[in-house]
Amino acid sequence: MTLSRDDVDHVAMLARLGLSDEEKSRLLGELEKILGHIARLQQVDTSMLAETAQVGDLVNVMRADVTEPPLGAAAALRNAPAADGNYFVVGAIQGNELDS
Amino acid sequence: MSSTASTITELAAALRNGSTTPRALLDETLAHLERTDKHLNAYLSVTRDLAFQQADAAAKLLADHPERASPLCGIPMALKDVLCVDGVETTAASRILKGFKPPYTGTAVQRLFDAGAVCVGKTNCDEFAMGSSTENSAFGSVGNPWDVGRVPGGSSGGSAATVAAGTVPYSLGSDTGGSIRQPAALTGIVGFKPTYGRVSRYGLIAFASSLDQIGPFTRSVEDCATVYAAIAGHDPRDSTCDPRAVDDPLSTLRRGVDGMRLGVPREYLGEGTEPGVRAAVEAALKVLEAQGATLHEVSLPSTDVALSVYYVIAPAECSSNLARYDGVRFGNRVERPSLTDMYQQTRDAGFGSEVKRRVMLGTYALSSGYYDAYYRQAQKVRTLVGQEFDTVFQEVDAIVSPTSPSVAFPMGSRSDPLSMYMCDVVTLPANLAGIPGMSVPCGFVDGLPVGLQVLAPRFADARVFQVAHAYEQATAWHLSQSPFATEAA
Repeated sequence: MTLSRDDVDHVAMLARLGLSDEEKSRLLGELEKILGHIARLQQVDTSMLAETAQVGDLVNVMRADVTEPPLGAAAALRNAPAADGNYFVVGAIQGNELDS
Repeated sequence: MSSTASTITELAAALRNGSTTPRALLDETLAHLERTDKHLNAYLSVTRDLAFQQADAAAKLLADHPERASPLCGIPMALKDVLCVDGVETTAASRILKGFKPPYTGTAVQRLFDAGAVCVGKTNCDEFAMGSSTENSAFGSVGNPWDVGRVPGGSSGGSAATVAAGTVPYSLGSDTGGSIRQPAALTGIVGFKPTYGRVSRYGLIAFASSLDQIGPFTRSVEDCATVYAAIAGHDPRDSTCDPRAVDDPLSTLRRGVDGMRLGVPREYLGEGTEPGVRAAVEAALKVLEAQGATLHEVSLPSTDVALSVYYVIAPAECSSNLARYDGVRFGNRVERPSLTDMYQQTRDAGFGSEVKRRVMLGTYALSSGYYDAYYRQAQKVRTLVGQEFDTVFQEVDAIVSPTSPSVAFPMGSRSDPLSMYMCDVVTLPANLAGIPGMSVPCGFVDGLPVGLQVLAPRFADARVFQVAHAYEQATAWHLSQSPFATEAA
Protein backbone atom coordinates (compact mmCIF):
# COMPACT_ATOMS: atom_id res chain seq x y z
CA MET A 1 0.00 0.00 0.00
CA THR A 2 1.51 3.26 -1.02
CA LEU A 3 -0.01 6.43 0.24
CA SER A 4 1.00 9.76 -1.21
CA ARG A 5 1.31 13.11 0.47
CA ASP A 6 -1.59 14.24 -1.75
CA ASP A 7 -3.74 11.46 -0.28
CA VAL A 8 -2.96 12.70 3.22
CA ASP A 9 -3.80 16.29 2.21
CA HIS A 10 -7.07 15.14 0.64
CA VAL A 11 -8.15 13.01 3.63
CA ALA A 12 -7.19 15.77 6.08
CA MET A 13 -9.40 18.15 4.09
CA LEU A 14 -12.30 15.66 4.11
CA ALA A 15 -11.90 15.22 7.88
CA ARG A 16 -11.53 18.99 8.41
CA LEU A 17 -8.27 18.48 10.27
CA GLY A 18 -5.85 21.36 9.94
CA LEU A 19 -2.67 19.37 10.39
CA SER A 20 0.83 20.82 10.39
CA ASP A 21 3.33 19.68 7.74
CA GLU A 22 5.20 17.78 10.39
CA GLU A 23 2.04 15.95 11.51
CA LYS A 24 1.19 15.10 7.91
CA SER A 25 4.62 13.61 7.30
CA ARG A 26 4.38 11.53 10.47
CA LEU A 27 0.83 10.40 9.63
CA LEU A 28 1.88 9.42 6.13
CA GLY A 29 4.36 6.90 7.53
CA GLU A 30 2.04 5.66 10.29
CA LEU A 31 -0.99 5.25 8.05
CA GLU A 32 1.04 3.41 5.44
CA LYS A 33 2.19 0.96 8.06
CA ILE A 34 -1.33 0.44 9.45
CA LEU A 35 -2.83 0.09 5.97
CA GLY A 36 -0.09 -2.41 5.14
CA HIS A 37 -1.21 -4.50 8.09
CA ILE A 38 -4.89 -4.14 7.25
CA ALA A 39 -4.19 -5.29 3.68
CA ARG A 40 -4.61 -8.90 4.86
CA LEU A 41 -8.35 -8.19 4.69
CA GLN A 42 -8.09 -8.39 0.91
CA GLN A 43 -6.94 -12.01 1.14
CA VAL A 44 -10.24 -13.19 2.66
CA ASP A 45 -12.72 -14.66 0.18
CA THR A 46 -15.89 -12.73 0.90
CA SER A 47 -17.81 -13.65 -2.25
CA MET A 48 -20.40 -15.57 -0.18
CA LEU A 49 -20.56 -13.15 2.76
CA ALA A 50 -23.10 -10.42 3.39
CA GLU A 51 -22.02 -7.23 5.16
CA THR A 52 -22.55 -6.81 8.89
CA ALA A 53 -23.49 -3.20 9.65
CA GLN A 54 -24.81 -3.99 13.12
CA VAL A 55 -24.97 -7.12 15.25
CA GLY A 56 -28.38 -6.53 16.80
CA ASP A 57 -31.48 -7.93 15.14
CA LEU A 58 -33.68 -4.89 15.75
CA VAL A 59 -35.02 -3.20 12.64
CA ASN A 60 -36.93 0.03 12.13
CA VAL A 61 -37.15 0.91 15.80
CA MET A 62 -39.90 3.48 16.27
CA ARG A 63 -41.40 5.21 19.24
CA ALA A 64 -44.99 6.32 19.66
CA ASP A 65 -45.69 9.45 17.61
CA VAL A 66 -46.35 11.69 20.58
CA THR A 67 -44.65 14.92 21.48
CA GLU A 68 -42.37 14.98 24.48
CA PRO A 69 -40.82 17.95 26.25
CA PRO A 70 -37.72 18.94 24.25
CA LEU A 71 -34.31 19.75 25.68
CA GLY A 72 -35.05 23.44 25.24
CA ALA A 73 -32.98 26.20 23.69
CA ALA A 74 -31.35 27.37 26.92
CA ALA A 75 -29.98 23.91 27.73
CA ALA A 76 -28.99 23.27 24.11
CA LEU A 77 -27.05 26.54 23.97
CA ARG A 78 -25.42 26.18 27.37
CA ASN A 79 -22.21 24.73 25.89
CA ALA A 80 -22.09 26.80 22.72
CA PRO A 81 -18.73 28.52 22.10
CA ALA A 82 -20.76 31.52 20.81
CA ALA A 83 -24.51 32.11 21.04
CA ASP A 84 -26.89 34.98 20.49
CA GLY A 85 -30.40 34.68 21.87
CA ASN A 86 -31.72 31.34 20.67
CA TYR A 87 -29.04 30.92 18.02
CA PHE A 88 -25.56 29.46 17.63
CA VAL A 89 -23.16 32.00 16.19
CA VAL A 90 -20.93 30.84 13.32
CA GLY A 91 -18.74 32.59 10.78
CA ALA A 92 -20.05 33.52 7.35
CA ILE A 93 -20.24 30.57 4.98
CA GLN A 94 -20.12 32.65 1.79
CA GLY A 95 -16.92 32.79 -0.23
CA ASN A 96 -15.57 29.65 1.36
CA GLU A 97 -12.45 28.52 -0.45
CA LEU A 98 -13.30 24.80 -0.09
CA ASP A 99 -16.93 25.10 -1.12
CA SER A 100 -16.19 26.57 -4.52
CA MET B 1 -16.18 -0.88 58.49
CA SER B 2 -13.66 0.74 56.15
CA SER B 3 -14.74 1.66 52.65
CA THR B 4 -11.25 0.89 51.35
CA ALA B 5 -11.02 -2.33 49.34
CA SER B 6 -14.42 -3.58 50.46
CA THR B 7 -17.01 -5.09 48.14
CA ILE B 8 -20.50 -3.78 47.46
CA THR B 9 -21.90 -6.84 49.26
CA GLU B 10 -19.85 -6.06 52.39
CA LEU B 11 -20.64 -2.35 52.36
CA ALA B 12 -24.36 -2.90 51.78
CA ALA B 13 -24.42 -5.17 54.85
CA ALA B 14 -22.44 -2.65 56.88
CA LEU B 15 -24.84 0.14 55.95
CA ARG B 16 -27.74 -2.02 57.16
CA ASN B 17 -26.26 -3.22 60.44
CA GLY B 18 -25.34 0.30 61.45
CA SER B 19 -21.57 -0.13 61.40
CA THR B 20 -21.24 2.69 58.88
CA THR B 21 -23.23 5.42 57.15
CA PRO B 22 -23.18 6.81 53.58
CA ARG B 23 -21.49 9.96 54.92
CA ALA B 24 -18.79 7.99 56.73
CA LEU B 25 -18.14 5.88 53.63
CA LEU B 26 -17.93 9.00 51.50
CA ASP B 27 -15.53 10.74 53.90
CA GLU B 28 -13.22 7.73 53.87
CA THR B 29 -13.47 7.43 50.10
CA LEU B 30 -12.62 11.08 49.49
CA ALA B 31 -9.70 10.91 51.94
CA HIS B 32 -8.35 7.82 50.19
CA LEU B 33 -8.86 9.41 46.79
CA GLU B 34 -7.01 12.55 47.80
CA ARG B 35 -4.05 10.60 49.18
CA THR B 36 -3.74 8.16 46.29
CA ASP B 37 -4.68 10.14 43.23
CA LYS B 38 -1.57 12.28 43.19
CA HIS B 39 0.22 9.02 42.36
CA LEU B 40 -2.42 7.52 40.07
CA ASN B 41 -4.12 10.44 38.23
CA ALA B 42 -7.22 8.23 37.93
CA TYR B 43 -9.64 11.16 38.27
CA LEU B 44 -10.29 14.05 35.91
CA SER B 45 -12.76 15.61 38.32
CA VAL B 46 -13.99 14.96 41.85
CA THR B 47 -17.74 15.57 42.22
CA ARG B 48 -17.71 16.36 45.93
CA ASP B 49 -20.96 18.37 46.06
CA LEU B 50 -22.93 15.82 44.05
CA ALA B 51 -21.51 13.02 46.22
CA PHE B 52 -22.54 14.67 49.51
CA GLN B 53 -26.00 15.37 48.14
CA GLN B 54 -26.38 11.75 47.01
CA ALA B 55 -24.95 10.36 50.27
CA ASP B 56 -27.48 12.34 52.30
CA ALA B 57 -30.37 11.21 50.09
CA ALA B 58 -29.15 7.61 50.41
CA ALA B 59 -28.92 7.92 54.20
CA LYS B 60 -32.50 9.15 54.32
CA LEU B 61 -33.76 6.26 52.18
CA LEU B 62 -31.82 3.69 54.26
CA ALA B 63 -33.28 5.15 57.45
CA ASP B 64 -36.87 5.64 56.26
CA HIS B 65 -37.43 2.76 53.83
CA PRO B 66 -34.58 0.23 54.10
CA GLU B 67 -36.75 -2.38 52.38
CA ARG B 68 -36.82 -0.20 49.25
CA ALA B 69 -33.08 0.55 49.19
CA SER B 70 -31.03 -1.14 46.47
CA PRO B 71 -27.76 -2.92 47.41
CA LEU B 72 -26.05 0.05 45.70
CA CYS B 73 -27.72 2.64 47.94
CA GLY B 74 -25.17 4.83 49.71
CA ILE B 75 -22.15 3.19 48.11
CA PRO B 76 -19.45 5.35 46.48
CA MET B 77 -18.62 4.83 42.80
CA ALA B 78 -16.92 6.56 39.86
CA LEU B 79 -17.74 7.06 36.19
CA LYS B 80 -15.50 7.02 33.14
CA ASP B 81 -15.41 10.54 31.76
CA VAL B 82 -17.26 9.53 28.59
CA LEU B 83 -20.51 9.17 30.56
CA CYS B 84 -22.65 12.26 30.69
CA VAL B 85 -23.92 13.64 33.99
CA ASP B 86 -26.19 16.69 33.90
CA GLY B 87 -24.15 19.78 34.77
CA VAL B 88 -20.95 17.85 35.60
CA GLU B 89 -17.91 18.46 33.38
CA THR B 90 -17.52 15.56 30.94
CA THR B 91 -14.45 15.75 28.71
CA ALA B 92 -13.81 12.26 27.26
CA ALA B 93 -10.21 13.16 28.26
CA SER B 94 -10.07 15.52 25.27
CA ARG B 95 -9.06 19.17 25.09
CA ILE B 96 -11.91 19.77 22.68
CA LEU B 97 -14.47 19.04 25.43
CA LYS B 98 -12.65 20.76 28.32
CA GLY B 99 -15.36 22.61 30.21
CA PHE B 100 -18.27 20.76 28.57
CA LYS B 101 -21.18 20.27 30.97
CA PRO B 102 -23.82 17.93 29.51
CA PRO B 103 -27.45 19.07 29.63
CA TYR B 104 -28.67 15.61 30.63
CA THR B 105 -27.63 12.42 32.44
CA GLY B 106 -27.17 9.15 30.54
CA THR B 107 -29.53 6.23 31.18
CA ALA B 108 -27.08 3.73 32.74
CA VAL B 109 -25.81 6.45 35.08
CA GLN B 110 -29.32 7.62 35.92
CA ARG B 111 -30.31 4.05 36.84
CA LEU B 112 -27.42 3.91 39.31
CA PHE B 113 -28.30 7.33 40.71
CA ASP B 114 -31.91 6.17 41.12
CA ALA B 115 -30.57 3.16 43.03
CA GLY B 116 -28.85 5.54 45.47
CA ALA B 117 -25.30 5.51 44.09
CA VAL B 118 -22.86 8.12 45.40
CA CYS B 119 -20.75 9.44 42.51
CA VAL B 120 -17.34 10.66 43.69
CA GLY B 121 -15.90 11.61 40.33
CA LYS B 122 -15.19 11.21 36.64
CA THR B 123 -12.28 8.98 35.72
CA ASN B 124 -9.40 9.45 33.33
CA CYS B 125 -9.27 7.44 30.09
CA ASP B 126 -7.79 7.43 26.62
CA GLU B 127 -9.10 10.39 24.62
CA PHE B 128 -12.57 9.49 23.31
CA ALA B 129 -11.86 5.94 24.59
CA MET B 130 -9.28 5.36 21.84
CA GLY B 131 -6.39 3.38 23.25
CA SER B 132 -5.27 0.44 25.32
CA SER B 133 -3.09 2.13 27.95
CA THR B 134 -4.76 5.43 28.99
CA GLU B 135 -1.62 7.18 27.74
CA ASN B 136 -3.74 8.96 25.10
CA SER B 137 -5.53 11.12 27.69
CA ALA B 138 -5.07 14.85 27.10
CA PHE B 139 -4.78 15.18 30.88
CA GLY B 140 -1.92 12.81 31.70
CA SER B 141 -1.39 9.08 32.05
CA VAL B 142 -2.84 6.89 34.81
CA GLY B 143 -0.63 4.77 37.04
CA ASN B 144 -1.32 1.08 37.59
CA PRO B 145 -1.89 0.58 41.35
CA TRP B 146 0.30 -2.55 41.23
CA ASP B 147 3.22 -0.57 39.76
CA VAL B 148 2.74 3.12 39.07
CA GLY B 149 5.41 3.06 36.38
CA ARG B 150 3.20 0.80 34.31
CA VAL B 151 -0.05 1.44 32.47
CA PRO B 152 -3.40 0.30 33.89
CA GLY B 153 -4.56 -0.71 30.40
CA GLY B 154 -7.19 1.21 28.56
CA SER B 155 -9.16 2.89 27.49
CA SER B 156 -11.03 2.81 30.83
CA GLY B 157 -7.75 2.97 32.81
CA GLY B 158 -8.93 5.43 35.46
CA SER B 159 -12.08 3.43 36.22
CA ALA B 160 -9.98 0.27 36.59
CA ALA B 161 -7.24 1.93 38.63
CA THR B 162 -9.57 3.49 41.19
CA VAL B 163 -11.25 0.13 41.91
CA ALA B 164 -7.90 -1.67 42.03
CA ALA B 165 -6.58 1.05 44.35
CA GLY B 166 -9.42 0.30 46.75
CA THR B 167 -10.88 3.81 46.56
CA VAL B 168 -14.35 2.79 45.33
CA PRO B 169 -15.88 -0.70 45.12
CA TYR B 170 -17.13 -0.17 41.60
CA SER B 171 -17.02 2.07 38.57
CA LEU B 172 -18.41 2.18 35.06
CA GLY B 173 -16.36 2.03 31.88
CA SER B 174 -17.03 1.51 28.20
CA ASP B 175 -15.71 -1.28 25.98
CA THR B 176 -15.39 -0.87 22.20
CA GLY B 177 -12.53 -3.34 21.57
CA GLY B 178 -11.61 -4.44 25.09
CA SER B 179 -11.57 -1.16 27.00
CA ILE B 180 -13.21 -2.70 30.10
CA ARG B 181 -11.83 -6.26 30.03
CA GLN B 182 -8.19 -5.43 29.25
CA PRO B 183 -7.74 -2.80 32.02
CA ALA B 184 -9.59 -5.11 34.46
CA ALA B 185 -7.03 -7.82 33.62
CA LEU B 186 -4.07 -5.47 33.94
CA THR B 187 -5.20 -4.17 37.34
CA GLY B 188 -6.40 -7.46 38.86
CA ILE B 189 -10.14 -6.78 39.09
CA VAL B 190 -13.39 -7.90 37.46
CA GLY B 191 -14.60 -6.12 34.31
CA PHE B 192 -17.63 -6.95 32.19
CA LYS B 193 -18.71 -6.01 28.67
CA PRO B 194 -22.39 -6.94 28.26
CA THR B 195 -24.02 -8.23 25.07
CA TYR B 196 -24.35 -5.44 22.50
CA GLY B 197 -27.79 -3.93 23.07
CA ARG B 198 -28.09 -4.92 26.74
CA VAL B 199 -27.15 -1.57 28.28
CA SER B 200 -28.40 1.73 26.89
CA ARG B 201 -25.72 4.03 25.46
CA TYR B 202 -27.91 7.10 25.82
CA GLY B 203 -25.54 9.64 27.36
CA LEU B 204 -22.36 7.75 26.40
CA ILE B 205 -20.04 9.85 24.24
CA ALA B 206 -19.94 7.76 21.07
CA PHE B 207 -16.70 6.27 19.74
CA ALA B 208 -17.80 3.41 17.42
CA SER B 209 -21.52 2.93 17.70
CA SER B 210 -21.77 -0.63 16.37
CA LEU B 211 -19.23 -1.76 18.99
CA ASP B 212 -19.56 0.42 22.13
CA GLN B 213 -21.02 -1.04 25.33
CA ILE B 214 -21.08 0.29 28.91
CA GLY B 215 -20.14 -2.07 31.74
CA PRO B 216 -18.90 -2.31 35.34
CA PHE B 217 -15.54 -2.75 37.10
CA THR B 218 -15.76 -4.42 40.51
CA ARG B 219 -13.73 -6.48 43.01
CA SER B 220 -15.98 -9.52 42.84
CA VAL B 221 -18.11 -11.27 40.24
CA GLU B 222 -21.14 -11.00 42.53
CA ASP B 223 -20.69 -7.21 42.75
CA CYS B 224 -20.37 -7.10 38.98
CA ALA B 225 -23.71 -8.92 38.66
CA THR B 226 -25.31 -6.46 41.07
CA VAL B 227 -24.17 -3.42 39.06
CA TYR B 228 -24.96 -5.04 35.69
CA ALA B 229 -28.48 -5.94 36.88
CA ALA B 230 -29.01 -2.30 37.85
CA ILE B 231 -27.96 -0.82 34.49
CA ALA B 232 -29.19 -3.45 31.99
CA GLY B 233 -32.50 -3.44 30.17
CA HIS B 234 -34.48 -1.69 27.52
CA ASP B 235 -34.32 2.08 27.03
CA PRO B 236 -36.38 3.74 24.31
CA ARG B 237 -33.72 6.48 24.11
CA ASP B 238 -31.20 4.09 22.53
CA SER B 239 -32.72 2.46 19.46
CA THR B 240 -30.10 -0.32 19.57
CA CYS B 241 -31.07 -1.24 23.13
CA ASP B 242 -32.83 -4.60 23.11
CA PRO B 243 -36.35 -4.93 24.56
CA ARG B 244 -35.97 -8.60 25.62
CA ALA B 245 -36.19 -9.25 29.37
CA VAL B 246 -32.81 -9.38 31.14
CA ASP B 247 -31.90 -12.69 32.81
CA ASP B 248 -31.00 -11.93 36.43
CA PRO B 249 -27.31 -12.86 36.74
CA LEU B 250 -27.60 -13.14 40.53
CA SER B 251 -30.18 -15.93 40.44
CA THR B 252 -27.88 -18.26 38.47
CA LEU B 253 -24.55 -17.05 39.89
CA ARG B 254 -23.91 -20.09 42.10
CA ARG B 255 -24.87 -22.86 39.74
CA GLY B 256 -21.25 -23.76 39.02
CA VAL B 257 -19.71 -25.23 35.89
CA ASP B 258 -20.30 -28.95 36.52
CA GLY B 259 -21.13 -30.50 33.16
CA MET B 260 -20.46 -27.30 31.28
CA ARG B 261 -18.54 -27.45 28.00
CA LEU B 262 -15.83 -24.78 27.81
CA GLY B 263 -14.04 -23.95 24.58
CA VAL B 264 -10.41 -22.84 24.46
CA PRO B 265 -9.62 -21.15 21.13
CA ARG B 266 -6.12 -22.11 20.07
CA GLU B 267 -5.72 -18.73 18.31
CA TYR B 268 -6.26 -16.94 21.67
CA LEU B 269 -3.15 -18.58 23.14
CA GLY B 270 -1.00 -17.81 20.12
CA GLU B 271 2.64 -16.88 19.79
CA GLY B 272 2.12 -13.35 21.09
CA THR B 273 0.98 -14.62 24.50
CA GLU B 274 3.58 -14.04 27.24
CA PRO B 275 4.70 -17.35 28.84
CA GLY B 276 3.60 -16.23 32.31
CA VAL B 277 0.13 -15.31 31.05
CA ARG B 278 -0.15 -18.65 29.29
CA ALA B 279 0.86 -20.53 32.45
CA ALA B 280 -1.67 -18.64 34.60
CA VAL B 281 -4.48 -19.29 32.13
CA GLU B 282 -3.58 -22.97 31.75
CA ALA B 283 -3.69 -23.31 35.54
CA ALA B 284 -7.10 -21.58 35.53
CA LEU B 285 -8.39 -24.07 32.98
CA LYS B 286 -7.39 -26.92 35.31
CA VAL B 287 -9.35 -25.26 38.13
CA LEU B 288 -12.45 -25.12 35.94
CA GLU B 289 -11.92 -28.74 34.93
CA ALA B 290 -11.69 -29.73 38.60
CA GLN B 291 -15.07 -28.04 39.08
CA GLY B 292 -16.63 -30.44 36.58
CA ALA B 293 -16.34 -28.49 33.33
CA THR B 294 -15.00 -30.22 30.24
CA LEU B 295 -12.42 -28.42 28.11
CA HIS B 296 -12.50 -28.48 24.33
CA GLU B 297 -9.94 -27.01 21.98
CA VAL B 298 -11.80 -24.92 19.43
CA SER B 299 -10.74 -22.73 16.54
CA LEU B 300 -11.65 -19.16 15.61
CA PRO B 301 -9.55 -18.96 12.41
CA SER B 302 -10.34 -15.29 11.68
CA THR B 303 -8.93 -14.02 14.98
CA ASP B 304 -5.87 -12.58 13.25
CA VAL B 305 -7.81 -10.81 10.53
CA ALA B 306 -10.39 -9.61 13.10
CA LEU B 307 -7.80 -7.06 14.24
CA SER B 308 -7.78 -5.61 10.72
CA VAL B 309 -11.58 -5.62 10.60
CA TYR B 310 -11.66 -3.72 13.86
CA TYR B 311 -9.07 -1.17 12.75
CA VAL B 312 -11.18 -0.33 9.73
CA ILE B 313 -14.64 -0.34 11.31
CA ALA B 314 -13.81 1.41 14.59
CA PRO B 315 -11.88 4.29 12.93
CA ALA B 316 -14.57 4.60 10.22
CA GLU B 317 -17.31 4.94 12.80
CA CYS B 318 -15.22 7.28 14.94
CA SER B 319 -14.45 9.56 12.01
CA SER B 320 -18.19 9.90 11.50
CA ASN B 321 -19.09 10.23 15.20
CA LEU B 322 -16.38 12.81 15.85
CA ALA B 323 -17.56 15.04 12.99
CA ARG B 324 -19.83 16.69 15.57
CA TYR B 325 -16.82 18.32 17.29
CA ASP B 326 -16.71 21.30 14.98
CA GLY B 327 -16.65 24.21 17.41
CA VAL B 328 -20.28 25.17 16.82
CA ARG B 329 -22.72 23.60 19.28
CA PHE B 330 -20.40 22.50 22.09
CA GLY B 331 -16.75 22.08 22.86
CA ASN B 332 -13.98 24.54 22.26
CA ARG B 333 -13.54 26.75 19.21
CA VAL B 334 -10.51 28.35 17.61
CA GLU B 335 -11.87 31.58 16.10
CA ARG B 336 -11.10 32.13 12.41
CA PRO B 337 -12.82 34.38 9.87
CA SER B 338 -13.48 31.50 7.46
CA LEU B 339 -15.80 28.70 8.59
CA THR B 340 -13.68 25.91 7.08
CA ASP B 341 -10.57 27.34 8.68
CA MET B 342 -12.43 27.51 12.01
CA TYR B 343 -13.40 23.81 11.74
CA GLN B 344 -9.87 22.77 10.80
CA GLN B 345 -8.07 24.79 13.45
CA THR B 346 -10.61 23.85 16.15
CA ARG B 347 -10.18 20.14 15.43
CA ASP B 348 -6.41 20.43 15.09
CA ALA B 349 -6.09 22.15 18.45
CA GLY B 350 -8.75 20.02 20.16
CA PHE B 351 -7.81 16.46 19.20
CA GLY B 352 -4.75 14.50 20.29
CA SER B 353 -2.55 12.46 17.98
CA GLU B 354 -4.28 9.06 18.37
CA VAL B 355 -7.70 10.60 17.69
CA LYS B 356 -6.33 12.36 14.60
CA ARG B 357 -4.71 9.12 13.43
CA ARG B 358 -8.00 7.23 13.72
CA VAL B 359 -10.09 9.99 12.17
CA MET B 360 -7.65 10.04 9.24
CA LEU B 361 -7.65 6.24 8.92
CA GLY B 362 -11.44 6.08 9.12
CA THR B 363 -11.99 8.93 6.69
CA TYR B 364 -9.61 7.27 4.25
CA ALA B 365 -11.41 3.89 4.56
CA LEU B 366 -14.73 5.59 3.85
CA SER B 367 -13.52 7.85 1.07
CA SER B 368 -14.45 7.52 -2.56
CA GLY B 369 -12.37 4.85 -4.28
CA TYR B 370 -11.42 3.05 -1.06
CA TYR B 371 -14.82 2.33 0.49
CA ASP B 372 -15.28 -1.08 -1.17
CA ALA B 373 -11.74 -2.26 -0.55
CA TYR B 374 -11.66 -1.28 3.12
CA TYR B 375 -15.00 -0.54 4.76
CA ARG B 376 -17.26 -2.87 2.79
CA GLN B 377 -14.68 -5.65 2.85
CA ALA B 378 -14.26 -5.22 6.63
CA GLN B 379 -18.03 -5.44 7.11
CA LYS B 380 -18.07 -8.71 5.18
CA VAL B 381 -15.19 -10.20 7.14
CA ARG B 382 -17.01 -9.06 10.29
CA THR B 383 -19.80 -11.44 9.26
CA LEU B 384 -17.24 -14.25 9.12
CA VAL B 385 -15.98 -13.43 12.62
CA GLY B 386 -19.56 -13.68 13.93
CA GLN B 387 -20.20 -16.94 12.07
CA GLU B 388 -17.12 -18.52 13.59
CA PHE B 389 -18.37 -17.71 17.10
CA ASP B 390 -21.81 -19.15 16.18
CA THR B 391 -20.18 -22.39 15.04
CA VAL B 392 -18.07 -22.69 18.18
CA PHE B 393 -21.06 -21.98 20.43
CA GLN B 394 -22.90 -24.91 18.88
CA GLU B 395 -20.26 -27.11 20.50
CA VAL B 396 -19.46 -25.31 23.74
CA ASP B 397 -21.38 -23.29 26.34
CA ALA B 398 -18.69 -20.66 26.85
CA ILE B 399 -15.17 -19.73 25.77
CA VAL B 400 -12.27 -19.20 28.15
CA SER B 401 -8.96 -17.55 27.25
CA PRO B 402 -6.47 -14.94 28.39
CA THR B 403 -7.94 -11.42 28.42
CA SER B 404 -4.68 -9.84 27.31
CA PRO B 405 -1.61 -11.44 25.75
CA SER B 406 0.57 -9.49 28.20
CA VAL B 407 0.59 -8.13 31.73
CA ALA B 408 0.74 -4.37 32.38
CA PHE B 409 3.58 -2.85 30.36
CA PRO B 410 5.82 0.11 31.27
CA MET B 411 4.53 3.54 30.32
CA GLY B 412 5.94 4.73 27.01
CA SER B 413 6.99 1.25 25.91
CA ARG B 414 4.48 0.93 23.05
CA SER B 415 4.91 4.10 21.07
CA ASP B 416 4.29 2.30 17.78
CA PRO B 417 0.52 2.43 17.05
CA LEU B 418 0.40 -1.12 15.66
CA SER B 419 2.04 -2.66 18.72
CA MET B 420 -0.56 -0.87 20.87
CA TYR B 421 -3.39 -2.15 18.65
CA MET B 422 -2.16 -5.73 19.22
CA CYS B 423 -3.19 -5.39 22.90
CA ASP B 424 -6.81 -6.00 21.93
CA VAL B 425 -6.33 -9.04 19.72
CA VAL B 426 -8.31 -11.42 21.99
CA THR B 427 -10.88 -8.91 23.25
CA LEU B 428 -12.04 -7.08 20.11
CA PRO B 429 -13.56 -10.12 18.33
CA ALA B 430 -16.29 -10.14 21.03
CA ASN B 431 -17.18 -6.54 20.12
CA LEU B 432 -17.32 -7.40 16.42
CA ALA B 433 -19.71 -10.30 17.24
CA GLY B 434 -21.66 -8.39 19.92
CA ILE B 435 -21.18 -11.15 22.50
CA PRO B 436 -20.69 -10.65 26.27
CA GLY B 437 -17.26 -10.99 27.88
CA MET B 438 -15.69 -10.71 31.30
CA SER B 439 -12.21 -10.59 32.74
CA VAL B 440 -11.70 -12.18 36.16
CA PRO B 441 -8.37 -12.26 38.06
CA CYS B 442 -6.46 -15.53 37.51
CA GLY B 443 -2.95 -15.01 38.84
CA PHE B 444 0.19 -12.89 38.78
CA VAL B 445 3.41 -12.71 36.81
CA ASP B 446 6.18 -11.00 38.79
CA GLY B 447 3.61 -9.19 40.91
CA LEU B 448 1.48 -8.07 37.96
CA PRO B 449 -2.10 -9.34 37.55
CA VAL B 450 -3.34 -11.69 34.83
CA GLY B 451 -6.96 -11.89 33.70
CA LEU B 452 -9.04 -14.83 32.49
CA GLN B 453 -11.56 -13.92 29.80
CA VAL B 454 -14.96 -15.66 29.69
CA LEU B 455 -17.12 -15.27 26.57
CA ALA B 456 -20.64 -16.58 25.89
CA PRO B 457 -23.24 -16.29 23.12
CA ARG B 458 -25.28 -13.13 22.67
CA PHE B 459 -27.74 -12.60 25.55
CA ALA B 460 -26.14 -15.40 27.60
CA ASP B 461 -24.67 -12.72 29.88
CA ALA B 462 -25.80 -14.62 32.99
CA ARG B 463 -23.73 -17.63 31.88
CA VAL B 464 -20.59 -15.47 31.82
CA PHE B 465 -21.22 -14.56 35.47
CA GLN B 466 -21.85 -18.21 36.34
CA VAL B 467 -18.52 -19.41 34.88
CA ALA B 468 -16.52 -16.48 36.26
CA HIS B 469 -18.06 -16.87 39.71
CA ALA B 470 -17.31 -20.61 39.84
CA TYR B 471 -13.68 -19.88 38.96
CA GLU B 472 -13.39 -16.94 41.35
CA GLN B 473 -14.81 -18.86 44.30
CA ALA B 474 -12.39 -21.74 43.73
CA THR B 475 -9.38 -19.41 43.85
CA ALA B 476 -8.16 -16.51 45.97
CA TRP B 477 -6.76 -14.19 43.29
CA HIS B 478 -9.59 -11.69 43.65
CA LEU B 479 -8.67 -11.23 47.33
CA SER B 480 -5.17 -9.95 46.48
CA GLN B 481 -4.94 -6.23 47.11
CA SER B 482 -2.76 -3.66 45.37
CA PRO B 483 -0.39 -1.65 47.62
CA PHE B 484 -2.78 1.32 47.39
CA ALA B 485 -5.70 -0.78 48.68
CA THR B 486 -3.88 -2.11 51.72
CA GLU B 487 -3.08 1.36 53.05
CA ALA B 488 -5.59 2.47 55.68
CA ALA B 489 -7.97 5.20 54.54
